[in-house]
Order: sequence, then C-alpha cells, then structure tokens
Amino acid sequence: MPWMNRAVADRVKFDFKDMEVEFTKHTTNLHVKQEKLIDLLTHLREKEGYKLFIDHTCIDFPEERERFQGVYILYNPDTNERVIVKTWSKGGSLPSVEKLWACARWAEREAYDMFGVQYRGHENLRRMFMWEGYPYFPLRKDFPLGGIPEVELPSLTELYAGRTEPPSHDYELVHTRVPTLEDLERTEKSRLQKKAQLVLNWGPLHPGTHGTIWFLFDLDGERVVQSDVILGQLHRGMEKIAENIYYFQFLPYTDRMDYISAICNELSYVTAVEKLLGVEVPEKARYIRTMFAELQRINSHLLWLGTGALDLGALTVFLYAFREREKIMDIIEGNAGFRLTSAFLRIGGVHYDLAEGTLDVVKAFVKDFPNRLKEYHNLLTRNRIWLRRTKDAGVISREDVFNYGLTGPVARGSGVPYDIRKLESYAAYEEVEFDVPVGEVGDVYDRYLVRMEEMVQSLRIIEQCVSKLESLPKSAPYVNKEHPAVMSPKEDVFMDLEDMVKNFRIVVHGESAPKGEVYSSGENPRGELGFYIYSVGGSKPYRLRIRSGALYNLSIFPKLIQNGTIADAIALLGSLDPVVGETDR
Amino acid sequence: MTMLNSNGFVLTTVDELLSWGRRNALWPLTIGLACCAIEMMHAAASRFDLDRLGVIFRASPRQADLLIVAGTVVNKVAPMLKLLWEQMPDPKWCITMGGCASAGGPFPTYSTLQGMDRIIPVDVYIPGCPPHPQGLLYGILQLQKKIKEKGVKKYDKAFEEFKKDIERQGLVPREVTV
Repeated sequence: MPWMNRAVADRVKFDFKDMEVEFTKHTTNLHVKQEKLIDLLTHLREKEGYKLFIDHTCIDFPEERERFQGVYILYNPDTNERVIVKTWSKGGSLPSVEKLWACARWAEREAYDMFGVQYRGHENLRRMFMWEGYPYFPLRKDFPLGGIPEVELPSLTELYAGRTEPPSHDYELVHTRVPTLEDLERTEKSRLQKKAQLVLNWGPLHPGTHGTIWFLFDLDGERVVQSDVILGQLHRGMEKIAENIYYFQFLPYTDRMDYISAICNELSYVTAVEKLLGVEVPEKARYIRTMFAELQRINSHLLWLGTGALDLGALTVFLYAFREREKIMDIIEGNAGFRLTSAFLRIGGVHYDLAEGTLDVVKAFVKDFPNRLKEYHNLLTRNRIWLRRTKDAGVISREDVFNYGLTGPVARGSGVPYDIRKLESYAAYEEVEFDVPVGEVGDVYDRYLVRMEEMVQSLRIIEQCVSKLESLPKSAPYVNKEHPAVMSPKEDVFMDLEDMVKNFRIVVHGESAPKGEVYSSGENPRGELGFYIYSVGGSKPYRLRIRSGALYNLSIFPKLIQNGTIADAIALLGSLDPVVGETDR
Repeated sequence: MTMLNSNGFVLTTVDELLSWGRRNALWPLTIGLACCAIEMMHAAASRFDLDRLGVIFRASPRQADLLIVAGTVVNKVAPMLKLLWEQMPDPKWCITMGGCASAGGPFPTYSTLQGMDRIIPVDVYIPGCPPHPQGLLYGILQLQKKIKEKGVKKYDKAFEEFKKDIERQGLVPREVTV
C-alpha cells in the first residue's frame, strides 16, 4: 500500500510549519510537537481524508529526555494511502484523541496499561488488560519478560504427594502476582457506574462470549442502558515476548494469537518481516501460502458460522460446520504436521513442499464444498428465527466504520470495500481473481451474508492456486534459501554443510535486520491484522506492535448494544466474531 | 465386579459401583480459555464424539464434576477459575489440556500462570500445543482409569487435605462488601 506522497506532505507542511516530514523506505512519518498533535490529526482527518484510524501505540526509549513516543497510524480510503504521525510525550503524558476517533479510547487505555502514559482528556483511563491495583507497566524496557516473582505458589500436585526437598519436579516456587477476587471486583466497579436497575456480568467464563471476554451490562428491565467490556483474561504478553526473541522465533506465537486462523496470522507476520529484511519469495511459495491462507479463511468462517449459530440455538449448523472443518484440518495437518497452530510458513517461503496428493484432496474439497454451503444456506438464510434474530440488529453505519477503525467482514458488511488483499496485495493475491462482497444495511444479517460469500470467493482463489501449482514443476523452489536471513529447507540442512552452517548461524544469532520501521498488514478473517515493527538493527525487534482487527471490531460493541436487549448481545457478538487470543494478545 | 450366574445377579462393593458410575459419566464444565478450547470443541463434535464416553458438557459448575482447563491460564483469570472449581460439587476432577495450562507452556511471561496446579490440584496433564482431540480422549480414558484404581473415597480424603492446606495458606476467598 502506498504511503502519503510528497505532494500531500508538502501541502500539510504548509499549514504546519514546525512539523518534520520523514520518508523512510517503507513509511511516511510526520513528526509533530505535542501541542500541535490534535490540530494535525484533525486536519488530516477533515481536510486530507485520513479517516480510518488504524492504530495507536507507544514506543519506550528510556535514554531519551521524554521517554515515550506516541505513534498514530492513519489511512485514507479515497487515495489508498497510509501515514504515521509521531509525537513525544511530555512529562509522561499525551493528549487523548478519543474525541476524533472513538476507538482510540481503547488504544489509549492499552498504552496506559502497558507503558503508564497518561492521556489528558480521556473519559475513563483504566487498566486495559491487567487489573486495577497492578503496580507495574509491563512493556517498559526496564520490566523483565518474566515479571517480578513475589508470591509463593507451590504446585498443589506436589503438596498432595507430600512436599519434598528438592521439589518433585522442576519449577520456580515464587510466582508473579496473582490478583484476588477483591482486585477483580475493584476492576469491575471502576469500569461502570451503575445508573439503572442492575449490573449483569456476562463472562468472562461463559461459552457465549467466544473465549474469555467480560461484559458488563447496566440493565433497565431487559434494556441495556450502558455497557462496558473488560479484556485481558487472555493477555499473555505477546508484544513483550516479541521484543525478547528473534524474528523467526516469533512465528509460532502468531499462530496462538488468533488461533482459528493461524496461517493467515503467519502470512501477515512473514509479509511484514520480509519487507523489513528485503526477502523475495519464490512463486511456488507464494501460491502455496495463498492457498493455505484461503483454506484457513474458510476454516475460520466455518467456526464463526458454527458457534454463532449455536449461540442462537441452532445446534445442527455447529455439527455440520465442524464436519467440514475436520476436512480442512486434515489437509493442513497433512502438510504442516499440525492441525490448529500449524507454523507452516517460514520467512522466505514455506516449511515443506506440498505433500504428495495434497492438490487432489484440495480439488475434491473444492468440488464438494459448494454443496455443503448450500446446506448451510438451507438451514439459515431463509430461516424465520434466524432472520428475526439477525435482521436490523446491530446496524453499523459507514461513518462508524471509520470512527471505530473497523475492518474485515464487519466493515464490508456496512458497505465499505476495505480489503487488504486488493488494496495492498501480498502473497499471490494480485495474480488471482476474486470479488469483494459488501453489504448494504450493515446489520448482523449482512455480515452473515458477507462471510458466506467470502467463503465462495475463497474457493475461487483456491481453485486458481491449485491449477497454478499443478502447472509448476515439482522441483521449483518453495523457499528463497539464497537470502542470508532465510533458513534452508530441512532436507538441505541434513545433506549440505553450507546450509547447515547457515541454519546454525541463524538459529543461534538470529537474522540481522536493518534499522528502520515497517507497518504491514494482512486481511484476516477477523479484519486487518497489522504488524508495526520498529527495528534499531540486530536480530530482535525493538518494538513489535500487533494491530488486532478483532480488538477494534469489538470496540464498537458498547455503542451498538446501547438501548438493545440482552438477546441481541449474543447475535451481535457472534457477528463481530472476536477471538480473545488476538484482542488480548 | 463379578457376574455370579446367568440369573442376572451381580455382586460388587458399593465403592466399586459408585466409581463405575462416576467414571462413565464425567460431565465437564463448558469452559474454553484459548486455542485448546477449539480442539476441545472438535473432540466434542461429530468426528471424535465425546458423548459416547458419557462425557457431556454442562454449562453450570453445579452440574459438573470435571474441569477441563483448555488453554492459557493468565494470572487475571486464575481466581475466577478457582471460584468455579470451588462451586463444583465433590467428587470432582481436573484435567489440564495443553502445555500452557499444565506448566505455562510457551508463555513464561509476567501475566501467565505457570501451571494450573498452582491453584487447583490436577489429576491428568495432557501435553501438546494444542493436543489433538485424540490426546484429550486419551487423557479422559486415563482419568477413568485413575478413578477406577484409586476409588472415590481415597480421593475425597485427599481433597480434604488439600482444603485444609489452602485454608492454612489463607488462599480462601473472602466475602467482599463494597
């Protein structure tokens, strides 16, 4: 995707004289003084059309005078250009931009939680992932990855068997801080001031919440007066992990973020890293990647369909959808050796060549799947109950799409044709043909139809990939092993000394990345999954920010459910389709 | 159990009968935390079909006697899980599914609980990241074996000890007045 060009930058510079424009290899950065930040962002939004809020985060530079640098990433849907705005905090605080973009509220909460940056003018600046009373700010550079062990938590298995010295198994007795129920109650109370009759907790451990999201509803009868969402019940510290390991080592972690669409995550991640390292990917690998990403997309949409329908009482769809999921999982397992978190892609290619007979199985699947889709349509599309639960529920307007940074099927359901596969082509998406379905009304039913149609389009892509892969010779390379930062395939490592030495070097010392920054994203089933990598050289990223589509899509939930009923909440959440591994990271 | 003759009489002890009933009707609590939950759903769906082992997911802890901890347990969610565990009636069992729940897995970080056994006693640990549904099936079969071998009485006694232990450590949640 192109970044803000010189002409626009000069125009903006004309209005903001003391702003500095920096054109890096992969991005355009506008450095602005903090006093002018709100003015500049307003100008970009109103005058230049940078309407879509992509992401906000901070970077910690302990050596600098003002420690934290705020980073804002914006997107212009008319010219298809992105821009990064950077500003330094002053005395550890930044102005809040929640008046401009509503979803910034959550991004700022997160930055406060992780860095301790104060936001002036934020309506309720609370901990995003950790609980109220947690004393540390984990993403600061002086905080260790493993946290600070302070409470003694012995293994109860060992206590059971009678404690021994040395311990019966290898573990650290002293553990990081675990909250008490009082802490959690304080967290809950700090989020929502009761206005109506009763505050209902939905989740965090409830099958309808698709994981461990914690909803608070302030109810007047069945009507929701206000609501809030507490996240962090699956906050595993992904971004902190990324800062502490090599680029290639982080790849399996991306699987475990949005665990339902593992290969799509990997694809987004390797695309970003390949941009940073300057790695070309061979044609065969690009097609294999595209094919598997689309299989994974169908897989993910099937889970959405199954669980979404299950939440609304349709058990049959769940069983049907899981039947097809098993088939796709078998294809993935046959190639990657793993069903769910497959770690199939590698920087510079894919891990294995296609397994014997894969294309035949995929072809059989492609042939069979339209009939299965027809079954789902028969069960749901004209189903009276389904229509009444989903039609006109949770309508998202086009303005809200930009205002809340919505992406993926949720944005497309409201008629915004925002699809990274088209706008910033990666893998082989440029060379295959497919359409981008969009909705009209933007309600739950439209999002359902959009996802159903996306599965059809995915099938089309897979078909084209299969025919292309059939035409490629078997000996075609599937990994670009010439590049110094790319590991050689396993069979070469065992046979060739040079490759073995190279792999050894990468595994021990990591890839050495150049200085610079890159923001690259991929179209995931749950919206735009972006990786903002800030590198100061070396084999580990200085800061790796994960822009989660699911998080931003979920941020509109409190607005949509206002004045709705509890029953709508379930249909609505199903249509937003968040995965907690990605929202919490 | 011993079949005496062909007239339909069975001679057994009450203990054995109870343990037979309990191990063949393990009702787990419907809880998914992370990736493993997806494989747990697959295990329950049509291909692997946990129902045939008498494993039927229940939505309320009051009706459940098995807790399958499927996914990463972070520090924030640990006290809630413990609360649910305490709401389950005795006798009850716990299976940790996957590396994260068993020992922290690939997340040795500030926010992750390094093993479910730090807060509740665990009967069966299933390795894998995530384990296959077959792995979960095997784990449940192992639990059945364990219940058969240990009997229920012995188990209850051990649980009493555990309860005393956590009371001694002051880990029992108190009532909150706000």
